[in-house]
Amino acid sequence: MDGLVAVGVPLALAIRLVSVVATLMLVRHARACRWVALGASIAASVVTAAVAVHVIGSTSSIDGTLFRHAASETVLGYSVTPLSAWFLTTLSLIAVPVALYSTGYFAHAIAPPRMAAVGAALNAMVGGLEVVFVADGVIAFLCGWEVMTLATAALVATEHESRASRRAAYLFLVMSHVGTGCLLAGFLILGSVAGSLSFAVILSGHVVSGSMRSGVFALFFIGFGVKAGLIPFHVWLPEAHPAAPSSVSAFMSAVLITAGIYGLFKVCAFGLGPPDVNWALAFMSLGTLSAILGVLYALTQTDIKRLLAYSTIENSGIMALGLGAAMMALAHGRHTLATVAVAASLMHVLNHAIFKSLLFLGAGSVVMATGTRHIEHFGGLMRRMPWTGLWFLIGALAISGLPLLNGFPSEWLTFQALLQGFTSTPGLVRLNFPLTAALLALTSALAAACFVRAFGISFLALPRSPAASEAHESPAVMLVPLGFLATLCVVLGLFPGFVLRALGGVTASLPGLQPPAAMMWGGLGMSSALTSFDHVAPVMFGLAFVGGLIGSAALTGRRAVAVRQAPTWGCGGELTPRSEYTATAFSKPVLMIFGAVYRPTRQVDAVAEVSPYFVHEIRYRAEIEPTFERYLYRPLLRGVVRMAGGMKVLQAGSLHAYLAYVLVLAVILLMWLGGTT
Amino acid sequence: MTSAMQDGLLAAGAALLQAGGLLALAPLLKTVIKKMKARLQNRQGPPLLQGYYDLAKLLRKEPVRSDVASWVYVAGPRAYFAAAVAATTLVPVVFAAAPLESAGGILLLVGALAFGRFALATAALDTGSPFGGMGASRDMTIAALAEPALMLGLFASALAAGSMNLGVLVRTLVQEGVTRHPADILAFAGIFMIVIAETGRIPVDNPATHLELTMIHEAMVLEYAGPDLALVEWASAVKELLYFTLLVDLFLPVGIATSTAPAALLVGIVAWVGKVFVLAIAVTIVESTNAKLRLFRVPELVSISLGLAFLALAIRFL
Amino acid sequence: MTANVLILSAAGMLVSAYLMVGQKALFTTIRLYGLQSLLLAIVATTMAISESRHELLVTAALTVVLKTILIPWFLMRTVDRIGIQREVEPFLNVPVSLLICLGLTVVGYRVSSGFEEGTQQVTHHLIGVALSLLLIGMFLMVTRKKAITQILALLTVENAVFLVAVGVTTGMPLVVEFGIAFDVILAVLVLGILVQRIVGRFESMDVSRLSNLKG
Repeated sequence: MDGLVAVGVPLALAIRLVSVVATLMLVRHARACRWVALGASIAASVVTAAVAVHVIGSTSSIDGTLFRHAASETVLGYSVTPLSAWFLTTLSLIAVPVALYSTGYFAHAIAPPRMAAVGAALNAMVGGLEVVFVADGVIAFLCGWEVMTLATAALVATEHESRASRRAAYLFLVMSHVGTGCLLAGFLILGSVAGSLSFAVILSGHVVSGSMRSGVFALFFIGFGVKAGLIPFHVWLPEAHPAAPSSVSAFMSAVLITAGIYGLFKVCAFGLGPPDVNWALAFMSLGTLSAILGVLYALTQTDIKRLLAYSTIENSGIMALGLGAAMMALAHGRHTLATVAVAASLMHVLNHAIFKSLLFLGAGSVVMATGTRHIEHFGGLMRRMPWTGLWFLIGALAISGLPLLNGFPSEWLTFQALLQGFTSTPGLVRLNFPLTAALLALTSALAAACFVRAFGISFLALPRSPAASEAHESPAVMLVPLGFLATLCVVLGLFPGFVLRALGGVTASLPGLQPPAAMMWGGLGMSSALTSFDHVAPVMFGLAFVGGLIGSAALTGRRAVAVRQAPTWGCGGELTPRSEYTATAFSKPVLMIFGAVYRPTRQVDAVAEVSPYFVHEIRYRAEIEPTFERYLYRPLLRGVVRMAGGMKVLQAGSLHAYLAYVLVLAVILLMWLGGTT
Repeated sequence: MTSAMQDGLLAAGAALLQAGGLLALAPLLKTVIKKMKARLQNRQGPPLLQGYYDLAKLLRKEPVRSDVASWVYVAGPRAYFAAAVAATTLVPVVFAAAPLESAGGILLLVGALAFGRFALATAALDTGSPFGGMGASRDMTIAALAEPALMLGLFASALAAGSMNLGVLVRTLVQEGVTRHPADILAFAGIFMIVIAETGRIPVDNPATHLELTMIHEAMVLEYAGPDLALVEWASAVKELLYFTLLVDLFLPVGIATSTAPAALLVGIVAWVGKVFVLAIAVTIVESTNAKLRLFRVPELVSISLGLAFLALAIRFL
Repeated sequence: MTANVLILSAAGMLVSAYLMVGQKALFTTIRLYGLQSLLLAIVATTMAISESRHELLVTAALTVVLKTILIPWFLMRTVDRIGIQREVEPFLNVPVSLLICLGLTVVGYRVSSGFEEGTQQVTHHLIGVALSLLLIGMFLMVTRKKAITQILALLTVENAVFLVAVGVTTGMPLVVEFGIAFDVILAVLVLGILVQRIVGRFESMDVSRLSNLKG
């Protein structure tokens, strides 16, 4: 076992590399491609999971080298720290069900000529992500980062005949590279000051100081924020995640986001020395903004995958929020509180990965069965796809942060961190905490509304389109991963104490944090750092709930008379699918109440042929203003284009002009540098 | 029998007792409020036991279910009921400890009620009738707006007492005595407004109407009949009693029993019944002197509540 | 003795560059380049004999074969095929060009004195000549319109780099020299073909006409 663990990471990466090559060589045999690529993915994920679990259990890092080039003395090493191991566990936990699901899904959804490319890109993406989590130097990190980005872009552009997919891939590439550019700049600044490119040196916290530290922080915040999908860097997320194949979207939303969160943890929060109060405020405010705006936009989407993508932005905001609370606590020297907040954020990383991938895979099944992503064309699927419906319902309950499922514990911990932050920080800045807590409460309640809408309109009542009325249940290979993830949701929701115990080792490995001895409570529950402040044991509530169910059964089950089935009252006419409530109508109250955020525009046309009193058709068009695209990115783009136009003068088109530039530059450089030795 | 098992059995027994008691008394509270409202309007009003008669009638009836619906429709009322019943075990009623207070505190309580609401709203969409969708949409929206105000108000009181666990909170308050801070009045007003919203009373919602333009909660449960409807009605009544008890615990836990002596328990019961009755009178007056607000005026009401809660927090701690 | 040979050869290279600047006939320019390369081979041979670095003999041989014989032959054949024998008016007339080249030589020598090796007399001249040659080559590229002359200017720059490598440093590994040699051949071949295509398209070797392609 120890031997396997010592070589685990290179072994997993080797498996992936071999499978990429093999998949590309098997380009004519789609079925073989599928099995090779996905089988290798599962195998590599299992190996990585073994390594990660071992590290978390033993709370000691595993180091090694990935690549060594003797001549230039380049060494790309890896170091599986407990923090990396946490993210690797999340990755592997999601990668296995996603791969299993894909064996069924890709057979239906991907055209055979593309299977090789998709399989290879999937393994490249996951492999790149693994390298990102374990890299211990700048070069390895950036190599993994780039491979991950490019593979993801390839996957987003799978259906490249569609203009929307092409645009999504392009937007993703541009924004990712803006982020990568900032990362590169930050790392190079740190590296040039410290004189080394190894993380152990440049992330020790003592490299830069003063305003340079804040500048570097800002660079890394933008770089990792783009990847994590925090507002205002989120514009690529709602385009890219829906465009990719559904199982890939699941992986992207659940795990690829965490690459950004990992960076925020490793560099911004714990790699640049003791955090500044302003940094913590930046994290908390942008996190809260992402959470609120994410869920508000999710509420109005009619494309189910876009809805889930905006919900990812919301949850990403919650993770950033927890981290911000931790940084605020660290800035005031409250180490135990910081530990609670970090644990909350990390727990949410795991929980979000599980229920988001569950929801995306469920959505993928529905999209595959009906052939469309539009919610208003679903309906009545609960009867035709009972298992998918059940698992999706569990996912919807989990993401709404309701007790008994795994969304509740991480939200509970975040609340604890915020409330105790209020009592333990001095000054006016402490008002942030209850305000953030209130906004967090608003977010989770709106998320509940959003997923009542998503689940209810998609699965319940009558089918709203012919496609929905002919939908079939997915094959078993696609249902088993859903069931596994749903079971995990329930188990982790009822027994969050185990997750917390695993997190104890992880938080102890981060600088400035203490292992929270008081966070475990009786093995079944969780408590915050001050045991008397609050504690929760969801399993006991679960028992009470079951008691309530038994009571309700006792009250209503004694009847020997059979249930009478009757048609729903259709107000005197026949009940058709058209009389059902639509998703747009469901979210209309929210749209109107939060109109200042949405700025909706509406256009109603009554089309009449013979006379205006005999209307033949009414056309209704409602649109939400894309605030960030219109007010932030478009002016930015226009400025860049204008600047480029101004610089166009230099591109005279004359070869001689270009050569003259080179000559002038050479003369200047020689005179400047040549005079000094 | 180990002491852990003994504690467990004791807790289970107390939980059953408390849940049963609240279940038993909840319909009475609803009828009392109805009767008082009627008296204010110069009517007789229903007999005090009408709530029980209605529930018994409904439980006896034949269950009628929509032929379009799936199992979600059946599960909705049961989950709603179970969530409300489970929530009753988290709140101290006559004794200064909740039977399952180790299960959780304020956050779990709010979460449990949210669970029930989610279940009911989802089930409402299952019949294909537009009323169900409309009710679900409106109810979830108002609940979403009410949640931050409720949380802030509860936080203001909890942070003052130093704990979010209701049992510990009540015990701390009882120890400190009755002297309270002016912030408490603000917090009480804020939470009281939210309780009106959550229990579906005028001015937020009218519990007696079935008109399309004015229904919120009633629209969600419009399609239920017989035993299913009985569960929903009963659970709503329990929720209301629970909210009143919460208000009593947070702001005036005077007279709550601190020991298991029969005399103390008796005092506790009487004190609790009396305080809940006073709150019922307050609710009656509010319902009788206000008109129901338009749906899109409700956010204004909620924002006033939010402001009050925030002020309570601010003036206590700054 | 060795020093004199070296300095004379380097000076000769510089003179040939100046003559290239003042030339209008294409054939003569190509021959001047051949002469320049021959002088470079002489420098290499002298270094090989005086410092007994025998691999430099290989370098010298390579230079003679490739740059004195093969490349000028190829370029003259290209010019023959195209049939254009004269250079058109450059951007700057000859006297002004020569003045600028003088200025560039001054820059080159000044920079050379900033180097540590530039304190010795021989290497001072060698570096100075090489840098001047480099700058004059680039200047030629900027001011000439015919593609063939630009190719020759590029080759002059390459000669300058070679001069520094051979005369001042400990030389380049043989592998690198071979690599550079083949690069040069390839570059000339490609450029030759390109010139024929340009002429075929525009019926002129005038590179400034490429700006017609600008969008």
